[in-house]
Amino acid sequence: MQSAPWVTSYLTEHCAADDFATLAGYRRRGGYEAARRAVAEMTPEQVTELVKDAGLQGRGGAGFSTGLKWSFMPKGGDKPKYLVCNADESEPGSFKDRLLLERAPHQMLEGILIGAWATGAEKTFIYVRGEYAQAGRCVQHAIDEAYAAGLLGANLLGSKFSHDVVLMLGAGAYIAGEETGLLESLEGKKAQPRKKPPFPAQHGAFGMPTTVNNVETFSHVPHILRHGAAWFRGFGTEKSPGTTLFGVSGQVRRPGLYELPLGTRLDEIVFQHAGGPLEGRRVKGVIPGGMSMPILPASQLDVPMANESLRERKTMLGTGGVMVLDDTTCMVRTACVIAYFFRDESCGQCTQCREGTGWIHKIVQRIERGAGSPADLDILLDVAGKMEGQTICAFADAAAWPIQGLLRHFRADFEEHVKHGKCPFPQSFEL
Amino acid sequence: MPRITVDGAEFEVAEGRTILQALDDLGVLMNGVEIPHYCWHPKLTIDGSCRLCQVEIEGMPKLQIACNTQVQDGMKIHTQSDRVKTAREGVMELLLVNHPLDCPICDQAGECKLQDYAFEYGIAHARTQEPRRALKKRVDLGPTIVFDQERCILCRRCVRFCREIPKTGELGVFARGDHSVIETFPGTPLANDYSMNVADICPVGALTTRDFRFKIRVWFLEDVPGVCTGCSNGCNVYLGVANNRVYRYLPRRNDAVNETWICDAGRLSYQEIGASDRLTRARVRGEGGALEEQPLEAALAAAAARLSRVVRAKGAEAVGALASPHATNEDLLVLRRFLAALGTPHAGCAVVRGRGDSLLVKEEKAANAAGARALGFGDAAPLLERVRSGAIAGLVALGSDVLAAHPGSLELLRGLDTLIWLDTRHSELETAAHVSLPVRHAAEKDGTLTNHAGRVQRVAPAVEPPFEALTEGEVLWRLGAALGLDGFAGAFDARAVSKGLAEVSPAFAGIDLDSVGPEGTPLRKAGA
Repeated sequence: MQSAPWVTSYLTEHCAADDFATLAGYRRRGGYEAARRAVAEMTPEQVTELVKDAGLQGRGGAGFSTGLKWSFMPKGGDKPKYLVCNADESEPGSFKDRLLLERAPHQMLEGILIGAWATGAEKTFIYVRGEYAQAGRCVQHAIDEAYAAGLLGANLLGSKFSHDVVLMLGAGAYIAGEETGLLESLEGKKAQPRKKPPFPAQHGAFGMPTTVNNVETFSHVPHILRHGAAWFRGFGTEKSPGTTLFGVSGQVRRPGLYELPLGTRLDEIVFQHAGGPLEGRRVKGVIPGGMSMPILPASQLDVPMANESLRERKTMLGTGGVMVLDDTTCMVRTACVIAYFFRDESCGQCTQCREGTGWIHKIVQRIERGAGSPADLDILLDVAGKMEGQTICAFADAAAWPIQGLLRHFRADFEEHVKHGKCPFPQSFEL
Repeated sequence: MPRITVDGAEFEVAEGRTILQALDDLGVLMNGVEIPHYCWHPKLTIDGSCRLCQVEIEGMPKLQIACNTQVQDGMKIHTQSDRVKTAREGVMELLLVNHPLDCPICDQAGECKLQDYAFEYGIAHARTQEPRRALKKRVDLGPTIVFDQERCILCRRCVRFCREIPKTGELGVFARGDHSVIETFPGTPLANDYSMNVADICPVGALTTRDFRFKIRVWFLEDVPGVCTGCSNGCNVYLGVANNRVYRYLPRRNDAVNETWICDAGRLSYQEIGASDRLTRARVRGEGGALEEQPLEAALAAAAARLSRVVRAKGAEAVGALASPHATNEDLLVLRRFLAALGTPHAGCAVVRGRGDSLLVKEEKAANAAGARALGFGDAAPLLERVRSGAIAGLVALGSDVLAAHPGSLELLRGLDTLIWLDTRHSELETAAHVSLPVRHAAEKDGTLTNHAGRVQRVAPAVEPPFEALTEGEVLWRLGAALGLDGFAGAFDARAVSKGLAEVSPAFAGIDLDSVGPEGTPLRKAGA
């Protein structure tokens, strides 16, 4: 990579430097100092409390408090405890973890090491999606370097603490990114989310207490230890501290990754950082956090990108994948693409998800072909409503929300299709 | 013990159970407390995927699945609230979005949970106009089961059954989402000894047994409780009866015996009842040396005449008896009394042994081998030795199991002066018998059977044999009367006979036809 992202902060500050992915380059910039201090000078409880105080929220989509999640791990006990690093970045519109895996693997490994000390985990499985072959190679190289330097393995950093890290490459299913679907896949089974209870902290990978954290989440941790909770809270909002990586894609002048504080306004990201729409176009809508998050119309982009403010607009931060759609976009066709994805990727366990994703896809396709009726729009909303909040995992919600969002803000597009019996937009791609 | 409230009714339930488990333990699930469910089965692991058992629990914002939610003291559950009803309607509608709705040609119609719950909990009209999934309609999963992929609702009971009960794991869910289908893994057809149970637990018409499908509409069948006679486990069954014919066995739940399962061999053993080789006429060996059909009374008289000749010539101890491990306790009790009245102690019981397993199938291939032992019928070998030595000249043989259990016994029995043979089906023993008397199958009898573990279980006539056949007990009763023995006056009455079981064996204390409940009664342990 020759050029850095246009905006950087602590997380991606050195990602443009080619040696940052090497142990020497990482250490030269203070790397592993935080882990050494944590293991040598802090108790696991102190580390967990610090992360809790910093208010770090999981960056995998759900935004749950990382410190709290660590505290759910049983103390002591005779079972081995595991960490899992979720590097199955599979949300369409999301490409932030790839950068961190390829350009800053030691930053993530240091975060893992600190998390392992805090939770008493003896092993971490890094689950990298199979398509990220290059990222997998980078991570494996970093693991090998860390072992060779005594940063992993038995009595690491000269302490009594031991920790192993194992890389696992996935085999390509969106649902393997759901934490219990990931655990199933990790165990060599079909990636189908587990019913809860039991929760992973009690019964996770191979039946052992397990905590699953995202790549970016781990990557923030060394910085919190280095600079403290107050420093971390200097970024972002009160409820959502820190920076995050916004991956901007779609019909904008400068798509790319932007590390910005949480709470940065969406219109600032789209128009200022990403350069706004292409020549002669207007922004029609923006999906704020990866494809499963409800879209916002152009009129509602004046919103801080943090869960507490996005929720008021019935959407969420998700994985921070900002997808910009301009005025040449047919929202029914968009619905077809989204519905097809979720139909194809539903694991098929739960009735509502298995049947609902297929039904929704068939209806929106029919509307796009011009064979829809006004009643179809209500059926879409009704089916989406029956999928929401009733299944084993949040996939059905993720499939229902974008359809609800499109109908909430762009019902006119759907109605026009129904009224005229055809799609009024240029047919830019095959369905 | 936690107390929970379901729709206002309070229940005391066991700790650590989920709502469905706890209600099932109490016997009230779908029997007072209606929580419809598909994927949950009391004897399989919890799946939590069909989402039909969602209930509203006070204090919890979302609906919860009753199959996987643990009971807690003070939990207040609502199963009929508007939210629950709407959720159920949603699940039912979505399950039917791709269902072929081919009930008129579906063999499950009438005992289909999709029909039942759609009627009970669904909405009456379809809102979908989309094409339904087109999948394979007739897949041979193995020798016993035919699968209709279109009807499958992917509850995965069959998949879990194969993994968890026979532990053979032939089935899996392949592909994802609404492309998901159940199939066998390559090279592993569904061919385990318990394969046909998947048809029972399939809530819809997706899995049907090759044996039963299209034989009869199930609403013509009466389910008569009974016991499988394939081995000494005594699995509880319902006999599906119509037109005086048994069409199938279905396992009847008895957690102390067979849970909810039955092996394939046992399930198919109903075929013995209407078998084409049933003995239908009493026969007596005539002057020419062949067995000739005779009226039953004449055959009984001939049998009595031959036996009294043996007694006159060689004494009562020259008569012996082979007890049948298929006969009821009552039949065997009459045999005991018959021998006692005649004045001979010589008797034994031959039991055919075969392959058993750790699940249900027992090595002893007879329903009442343990009952025969409890009533004092030991191994047949000493008796056969007495036949060989010539000490026994007259034998009353119940059943033909001796042939398989004691190779070479046929030649031995051919040397008898008198062989009175009672059986349900033709066997090689008829080449040695002087009098052959047809008897009833357990499905045609009133009586009790004692399984391998000493559980006494009731059988009652589900069908009448379409020919004149008595129980072994009644044949012996009439024979005793014809011989003028004490204690055989009047008509045979199995119920009255059963009250004497305890006199022969204290293990039967308190047990008779009327006291044995639908799940059986264990024999008393010695000293208890």
